[in-house]
Amino acid sequence: MSDTQSRPMFSAVSGSARQLFLLLRCIGFSPKTRVQITEDELRFIAEEGGVMQGTAILQKALFTSFQFTPPASHVHEEGHEDGEADADKFIVFEISLSALLDTLQIFGLGDSKSSTFNRDPYTSTAFSAPVLGVTGLCRLSYASVGAPFTIVLQESGITTTSELVTYEPSSNAADIPFTRDQIAIKVIMRAAYLYDAISELASANPERLVLAADDSTFTLSASSSLGSAVVEFHRDNSRSQYASTVDQPGAGVMETFFVPEEFKQVYHFSRVVGVKKALSVASKVSVRADNQGVLSLQFMIENLEGGGVSFVDFRFIPLADDEDGSESDRDYEEGETAETADE
Amino acid sequence: MRFKAQIQNITTFTKFVASLTSLGPVAWVRLNENDVRFTIIPEQGTQVWAVLAIDAIFEGYTIQSAAENVINLEVPLGPLHQALKSALQATAASIRLTKKDNIPLLSITIVRNSIGNARQSASEDDDGGIGIGLSRERETTITQDVPVRVLSPSKVEGIHEPRCRDPDVHIILPPLMQLKSISDRFTKVALESRSVTAGLSAIGPRLEMAANMHGCLRLGIKTDAMKMASLWTGLDNPELDPSHLEGGMEEIQQHPSTRMKQLGGPDGQSEEGWAKVRLDGKDWGKVMSVGRLGGRVIACFCHEHALILYVYLPSERDEEESALTYYISSYSA
Repeated sequence: MSDTQSRPMFSAVSGSARQLFLLLRCIGFSPKTRVQITEDELRFIAEEGGVMQGTAILQKALFTSFQFTPPASHVHEEGHEDGEADADKFIVFEISLSALLDTLQIFGLGDSKSSTFNRDPYTSTAFSAPVLGVTGLCRLSYASVGAPFTIVLQESGITTTSELVTYEPSSNAADIPFTRDQIAIKVIMRAAYLYDAISELASANPERLVLAADDSTFTLSASSSLGSAVVEFHRDNSRSQYASTVDQPGAGVMETFFVPEEFKQVYHFSRVVGVKKALSVASKVSVRADNQGVLSLQFMIENLEGGGVSFVDFRFIPLADDEDGSESDRDYEEGETAETADE
Repeated sequence: MRFKAQIQNITTFTKFVASLTSLGPVAWVRLNENDVRFTIIPEQGTQVWAVLAIDAIFEGYTIQSAAENVINLEVPLGPLHQALKSALQATAASIRLTKKDNIPLLSITIVRNSIGNARQSASEDDDGGIGIGLSRERETTITQDVPVRVLSPSKVEGIHEPRCRDPDVHIILPPLMQLKSISDRFTKVALESRSVTAGLSAIGPRLEMAANMHGCLRLGIKTDAMKMASLWTGLDNPELDPSHLEGGMEEIQQHPSTRMKQLGGPDGQSEEGWAKVRLDGKDWGKVMSVGRLGGRVIACFCHEHALILYVYLPSERDEEESALTYYISSYSA
């Protein structure tokens, strides 16, 4: 706002800061995020330890206005993408994610419209639930390469301007590769089921999460010094086809169940549990793994307004198998990426 | 030395004490026949000089002392707050200054009536409680003693309310709970960014607060990762009352705020005309807790020097307003 350039490289206006907040909060596990802007969407990519990556995709449709002029000279054209989009014209930079989230919920206590600020017992401690009140006009902009990423929020007489310092993305910022055409497993189910399963397993505070599937069951198991727990999801028996894609919603636990052959892979539980925020707001989740064992969790989140859905994506690199051989599975031993990345 | 009174507005008094508790452990309380003054001068942070009209909290009072009927006490705020909390549901409460084993005490006597919550009181206060019919109209008396120190007049004569030059800008603040929620979040942002960048030193986060004479208030913070500011517009800058100034109208024309009116504008976009102060985020958050009293707040900004808040307590009965005055020094950049 302060630097009124004639035409910023990027600007977008959203009627609901809360919508942006809900999506970005899903990847709030990391203090920083990479921002990638193309003509159609705004991507926020957060990662941890090179083995976990979360991407929140804010499509153009979420905004009432969305304008992006890629810079002629600064286009990153190395097709470093994961094969999905060809070298689109885009810009990348890094910002503090925690600062962005705090900005979006600055009006946490919400609209001063009504008696929100009166002395009800909740006002003084409402910081846990400010999310509920977040609304209001939100304007994002990025004037030029190297300029701060600016967020302007407006609500009943208060304007909050936040300028986030932008950083060059770190040189080793690469997406975790996920091979879409070599899928070892694909299961789509209601997010609530997976949420319950993960909450159940989390109670024992385990270190590792074992994901396994065969032609009839999808199993999550975890063990710790306190004991072990297994959650099994059974494929709807009435479907006889292997790669059945059930179209009727709510027909069974699994909407899609595609497991060509037995699958078993181990992941860091503490990392996977980081998707709980996303699970709690998502309606559906697609669990996929490629033949390298890279796990992709894709969350479908219904938009607050105007219908439509948004997606938040997570990827995990599997843990190397144990030496004791109990977990060894000949088909998936090429997890060499995991050995190096595992701390 | 005698002091005794009925507490007539327990809720207000309790909230008032609660808001002071966050700023310091002890208060100097000065009682005379017209008003009750609470003063907190912490080693660091905000000074409070609160003057309550004595009718606002007490009735049927007796205040007598050899020193022109003025009583000076040093009162621990935590215990006082605790004692008052147990009086919240009281039908009557009184306070008096007394002595037990040669220790001066403020003794608060609370009478609770058990009608309506007979069951609760039976389990709490009494081992009887067999027949509900019997327990009706039972009264419970609770006495809370708060040890205090009596201060001699010579001890307090050297303490004066800070004097400050005429403020550059005076403005009515938006609802304090709203301001607090935003400033608390700023403070949180600043603290978070510090832990990430592994901190410079032990100084608390600094909020920058500024206002102009055109109804704008700006609250901002700057960290390594971000710069953030909230701007309020359309607030009121109350007119100065010539009758309150020695020089009358003439003084108003000389007043710094009159000059500041020439600068800046109501949209807050101009960099001119702002009076700025830098505050400690945590201390400011504590000051803001006075918002629970729900009064009108006028902030006076002395550019780069100090911020003075006048919190006027809403009074039901008369126009004689009670006011809390907060003196907050500005930190240098």
